[in-house]
Amino acid sequence: MKTKALILGLCACGIAIIPSLLGEGYLIQVLNLAILNAIVVLGLNFVTGFTGQINFGQAAFFGLGAYATGIATLAGAPWLAALFLSGLVAAIASLALGVPTLRLRSYYLAMTTIGFGEIVRLVLIHWEEVTGGTSGLRAIPPISAFGFRVESQMASYYVLVFALALAILFALRIRNSSFGRAMIATRDSEVAAELSGVNTIRVKVLALMIGAIYAGLAGCFFASTIHYISPDSFTNRQAVLLLTMLIIGGTGSIWGAVAGAIGLTMLPEAFRFLDQWYLVLYGSAVIAVISFAPGGLASAIPNVVTRLKAAR
Amino acid sequence: MLLQAKGIVKRFGGVSALDGVDLNVPQGIIQAVIGPNGSGKTTLINSLSGTYVPDEGSIQLNGAELVGARPHKIAQQGLARTFQNIRLFGTLSVLDNVKVAAQRHTPVTLLDVMLKTGAHKLAERETEERARAALDLVGLGTRALDRANALPYAQQRLLEIARAIAAEPLMLLLDEPAAGMTMTEALALLEIIQNLRKRIGITVLLVEHNVRLVMGISDRIAVLDFGRKIAEGTPSEIQKDPAVIAAYLGRRRAHA
Repeated sequence: MKTKALILGLCACGIAIIPSLLGEGYLIQVLNLAILNAIVVLGLNFVTGFTGQINFGQAAFFGLGAYATGIATLAGAPWLAALFLSGLVAAIASLALGVPTLRLRSYYLAMTTIGFGEIVRLVLIHWEEVTGGTSGLRAIPPISAFGFRVESQMASYYVLVFALALAILFALRIRNSSFGRAMIATRDSEVAAELSGVNTIRVKVLALMIGAIYAGLAGCFFASTIHYISPDSFTNRQAVLLLTMLIIGGTGSIWGAVAGAIGLTMLPEAFRFLDQWYLVLYGSAVIAVISFAPGGLASAIPNVVTRLKAAR
Repeated sequence: MLLQAKGIVKRFGGVSALDGVDLNVPQGIIQAVIGPNGSGKTTLINSLSGTYVPDEGSIQLNGAELVGARPHKIAQQGLARTFQNIRLFGTLSVLDNVKVAAQRHTPVTLLDVMLKTGAHKLAERETEERARAALDLVGLGTRALDRANALPYAQQRLLEIARAIAAEPLMLLLDEPAAGMTMTEALALLEIIQNLRKRIGITVLLVEHNVRLVMGISDRIAVLDFGRKIAEGTPSEIQKDPAVIAAYLGRRRAHA
């Protein structure tokens, strides 16, 4: 117990001093993006990781949240109202998608969410009066609530870390509740779950909706910390990248989802000197993880630990 | 009558897997359904549990109509089952497998879970108690924290039974529970089933291919052949029934 508290304390200190090491600038902005991606991938983990339904719509939910906040706050709405609106818009979109398609089995959600992602992208591009078209929305007001305005990237970092901590906490609690068990039961055997009294359709829709709300809220934070959004950030390519983060981190693992998202957002910066070759490295790394650790890094770490212990 | 099934017909293409089967099961007995391969046993159990929707007929459990209801509704009405080909939640722990079935008695809201309210903690405690009691009844109490798919085969079958009874059903359907077991394992299983009836007074409907296993434990036996019920009675009546001997026992002897 004491060592656990010590480790937690050290982690907290580490997280707290990172911004002063990086200083205000590009790197902290990348780190903020990594934290936002972690929240989005945690959301994806509910429907894809726990419940086993492939969802290519997560980037679109993220985009809907970002544009809801961008449009609302530029029109003068208070930030908290925009936050609420972002979650609501994503939740409604997920219900509209999930209720009809999750009655069907297996790959139907994957197909409809690909279509959904494309629709969202096209609407963002062509509904120029509202969305600003391909040039997007600029000068989006910063996070401001309870009399605080969060202007700098360093200050945003602390807000985002807090949001991520809440996102992890809620994910852990849901995982260890009747809802989490019902989700994993639905993935492992839909027939047996249903015959154990689990309404599997409801569970799948709920998992999609919780994930969409995570993405929508992260979209709000994205718009109000980066201050600029355009359709490029919310394409199907981004959706595939989010799924890759989850697979590399470990589908169904909360800490794996966080690690995968932060790792895959930060690594391109570390390997920037590789230039075009980075994509080759990236592709090889994905293939390596899928062939050597199909459960993702989260499943590989315990294996490595036991091997090291055995070697000692 | 706890279960009343009348005139159940289930067709696949042009073939009637069930051709007007009636089955009445009174409270508290162990009822067996036997029959040669392809006689419609599994189709019957799938129709009762809602995996298949019968084309004709009615099924009432404790007076409530089951035909057309989704499987989870049928489970909530008080029917639980196991599967001939084991279907566990392989990546969950043994305890969590059982909790999935037990938790319907203590529903909570998502908000309760996220805020970890007293209601959520109470529900988790009650679910855990129910689940542990079910595991103890089948003798799996010590394996609670193992992953379900790490259990040996015979214990996986027991886990399915524990999961089914954790829902606290009115009636337990067992689909060939001894399939793939050694004789020793099968006999231990029969003892557990008899114990369940003694300790929690559950009504059991047992579908089994192995006639000898069924004779010792059942109160009543129904015999299916080509989707029809050809006989019903106590084990000693069934053993003497000429139609059964001709259709099933006789045929097996002819094979041997």
